[in-house]
Amino acid sequence: MKLSTLKFLATASVVLFASGSVSAEPLRVGMECTYAPFNYRTADGELAGYDVDVAKGVAEIIGAELEFVCQQWDGMIPALLANKFDLIIASMSITDTRLEKIDFSGPYRDSVGRLIGRSDADLNLFDDSGEPIAANFAGLRVGLERASTYENWFNAVLPDAEIVLYDGSEPLYLDLQNGRVDMIMTNPMKAQLRFLSEEAGGEFGFVSPAISEVEYFGIGVGIGLRQGQDELKERLNGAIKELINNGSLTEYALKIFPFPIHNPAWGDS
Amino acid sequence: MNFDFSLVTDSIPKMLVGVGLTFQLMFLSAIIGLVLAVVLLLMRLSGKWYLGWPAQVFIYVFRGTPILVQIFIIYYGLPQFEAVRDSIFWPILREPFGSAVLALSLNTGAYVSEILRGGVLGVDRGVLEAAKALGLSARQKFIYITAPIATRLAIPAYSNDFISLMKATSLASTITLMDMTGIARTIVAKTFAPYEIFISLAIIYMIFTFIIQKAFGRFERYMSKYVNP
Repeated sequence: MKLSTLKFLATASVVLFASGSVSAEPLRVGMECTYAPFNYRTADGELAGYDVDVAKGVAEIIGAELEFVCQQWDGMIPALLANKFDLIIASMSITDTRLEKIDFSGPYRDSVGRLIGRSDADLNLFDDSGEPIAANFAGLRVGLERASTYENWFNAVLPDAEIVLYDGSEPLYLDLQNGRVDMIMTNPMKAQLRFLSEEAGGEFGFVSPAISEVEYFGIGVGIGLRQGQDELKERLNGAIKELINNGSLTEYALKIFPFPIHNPAWGDS
Repeated sequence: MNFDFSLVTDSIPKMLVGVGLTFQLMFLSAIIGLVLAVVLLLMRLSGKWYLGWPAQVFIYVFRGTPILVQIFIIYYGLPQFEAVRDSIFWPILREPFGSAVLALSLNTGAYVSEILRGGVLGVDRGVLEAAKALGLSARQKFIYITAPIATRLAIPAYSNDFISLMKATSLASTITLMDMTGIARTIVAKTFAPYEIFISLAIIYMIFTFIIQKAFGRFERYMSKYVNP
């Protein structure tokens, strides 16, 4: 009896508030809360990170109250579908497989790869416009993670390079240090934090521009929501564009990284 | 759960590309391991503590630790030392192939040395006494009497170890080598079909085990031709 009353009230309020442009209902946001530096808890127990900043920025613009829900990665999409929360802001890349189940806002973060090699090596791999010079890759050993987007890109664009496949990013850094591979390709944000900023990464640096061809890397990381909420999606897209155009996204990124991690062109209409 | 047979037929030829590497790993390690095993055996049989002791420590260490750990120590651990990277061994250790062969050889050498020792200890005392009575020197006795009999006695256990070695070559896929298992894992990562691919891989390994078993069976019969009339 009581339950059905509650349910009725809940439904009624959803209907009421969904029709209004400003929602008093808090927006519940699912994230892992353990995925530093994008979403994690600080020593004081506060949630912090790029995803958290984006969530707060978006909520401010669309005028919603935020409520964070911590959810393990493998159950993220099922939990969204089961209405445990309303949005996924958890560094989730927009992929075709996921789009079959859920909807995404426009991207707010890059899905990119960058080559890392010895800073002192003068390899002349890219021309001035940032295009790879295929001939100069011939015979170079490049470490990649097995079946990653990077592998697909290399096979398609630079088949002359010698590709060595690893099972995780840590062995990549080790073998780069040990000189078994000439360079590696990986996520520049993680590499910056886990390797380049550490002592072991001292002699190494990025040797390529950010590579993010959509065909191989997807469009980027977006906010996940249930399908059929086009009105909410429009508001999210508008908010993300505003964050890009007013420089907030750059500011969030510079808190953690020495470079922005989104594509400014996403802010254009 | 659907079992996709077309995946099996597609993937087997791809995995067979890695047979060459699997066989190179297996035979190279078996040969180096066997030489090492004989050296270790002679050290242990020498009766001199300064030879027997190091051999025993070596065998203990390599039998007492998982081969995967040995591969990781040799591949990822050794190059942490500047001295190793500057040494003449670096061209071998730099290559995952060299590291894998080294780890597999050391491991199989330790095991086989114990198998051979079992064979030597199994040689009938009466035969040895007869040899002594005939006036053979210790060296002659070992070469003409002990060694052939010990070899025959050790074959069944050695064939077991050889099969273990064949299967252990699959661990080389963890250090970037594209042997049959490495190829299979890459296919799985792309197709999300572990079931079909790994079952096909298992069947290939079973066929090789069968061939090795048969070959050792023949060898054993050949070596036993004067024993079983």
